[in-house]
Amino acid sequence: MIDPQSDTVRPPLGLAMRSLLRADAIVLLRNRVSATLSILLPIVIVVATSLGARTARLGGAELTIGLALTIGLITSCVLGYSLNLAHDREVGVLQRLRVTPAPTWMIMTSRLCVQVVTNLIASIVVVIVGVIVHGLTPTVGQYALVLAVAVLGAAVFLAIGQALVGLVPSTSAVNAIGRVLFIILVLLGIIGSTGILGDTVKSISGWSPVGALMTLFSDVLGGAAWNNQDIYSLLACAGYIIGFAFIGIRWFRWETR
Amino acid sequence: MSDASQLPPPVLAVDNLRVAYGARVAVGGVSFRIDRGEIFGLLGPNGAGKTSTLSAIEGLVKPKSGRSLIDGIDTVQHPLEAKARLGVQLQSSSFQAELSIEQIAKLYAGLYGVHLSREQIDASMRTIGLDAELGKRFKQLSGGQQQRMALYIATIHEPLLLLLDEPTAGLDPQSRRALWQRIEQARGAGRSILLTTHSMEEAQAVCDRVAIIDHGALLTTGTPAELIEKHKDDPRVLEVAHGPVTLEDVFIGLTGSEIRD
Repeated sequence: MIDPQSDTVRPPLGLAMRSLLRADAIVLLRNRVSATLSILLPIVIVVATSLGARTARLGGAELTIGLALTIGLITSCVLGYSLNLAHDREVGVLQRLRVTPAPTWMIMTSRLCVQVVTNLIASIVVVIVGVIVHGLTPTVGQYALVLAVAVLGAAVFLAIGQALVGLVPSTSAVNAIGRVLFIILVLLGIIGSTGILGDTVKSISGWSPVGALMTLFSDVLGGAAWNNQDIYSLLACAGYIIGFAFIGIRWFRWETR
Repeated sequence: MSDASQLPPPVLAVDNLRVAYGARVAVGGVSFRIDRGEIFGLLGPNGAGKTSTLSAIEGLVKPKSGRSLIDGIDTVQHPLEAKARLGVQLQSSSFQAELSIEQIAKLYAGLYGVHLSREQIDASMRTIGLDAELGKRFKQLSGGQQQRMALYIATIHEPLLLLLDEPTAGLDPQSRRALWQRIEQARGAGRSILLTTHSMEEAQAVCDRVAIIDHGALLTTGTPAELIEKHKDDPRVLEVAHGPVTLEDVFIGLTGSEIRD
């Protein structure tokens, strides 16, 4: 048998990665509905909540912006990313890529990188609009922290999206379950946190992905001192990333057969 | 006296390959080899194990046992090196619907480590008659254009071995003939080709050797003329023949007349 190392036919990984990143970026940008929704929906929330004088009832401007950012991330990752991945799997795009010498981890990493960068850009736009309409004056450090939390949030919801595609083989089922999941996550995060459903639900809400991220966004935007709740929220997010990413990788299938 | 160890390895050597999906055995110990510049056809009814055999060679499914070597490289132990020597046209060619023809060419060139300039892409597209479609999306092309594009992508890195899974399925006779010509050109450029097909006409027109596969096992292998000669007196073949025995008679005689889904 020939030693493959003796014959340098394996293509350079750098060129392959650049090609994938460029293609995935074009695909994401051409999905205008998905891209617009993940920016437009949070902007509508921050603008709408700035029109009345009762933002405090929603927990203040910082919490409202945090909510808007979180909803943008869920829309983009749980609905957009998972659905695109499931669709590409069903129509054979992933199979076509897999018969090339690009490693499978690279095919997936490229998609995730493009998704995270898009989420970061969307988050910057939403924060800028949010601080303008709500009259906040965050420092450069606070902006940087918001972006860090946005990356964390993207990782949480991408992991959830990956787990969804890993566990559910059909595209239409991913679509339906993704929508239900979206509603559950948002309602648990928002309504649960008000306490109207009782202390138990409120406590669960605080530990939920949406609740944990809203806490972090709100505290970094409000310039609050680092507290135990932030540490718990950070740990919860790390737990979600590890847990759901494990499920998403372990049970992911490249084809629907 | 020739020394066998000095001979180049076959472009593809499949040795006792076995593929199973759960309890269902799709390929049960298939062996064959393809030499340089050879066009080898894998014929079989639906569900015979053609695509599963190809999938194992392509690295899409892991064989339960046996092995396949591309240019001497084990496809399981060194999948990326093996894939770099392989050009593939899948049964349904699916490229990202949002990408233009030019962007698809750039993507796949990059994945195979090929730097393509705009001029090179233009020239290639002229050669395959798609220069006017450069800005179009893959789904906007006709069936024949899609097959030409898929074959172009499969050969973009000038591979040693081309795997074509039913490349002419659904094409009109003109497009089919044009694709046969391109397959011949690929062979002329020194490539070996493994293709699956339902068409006996295609097998006779382009294949140097064919193998008939059914229920995951190779039933017979040889040139089309050899297979006819070898099986012309087989009662199962004579029963279905209407006149002189053809390759199709041999195929139906060996695999049965019942319709497969």
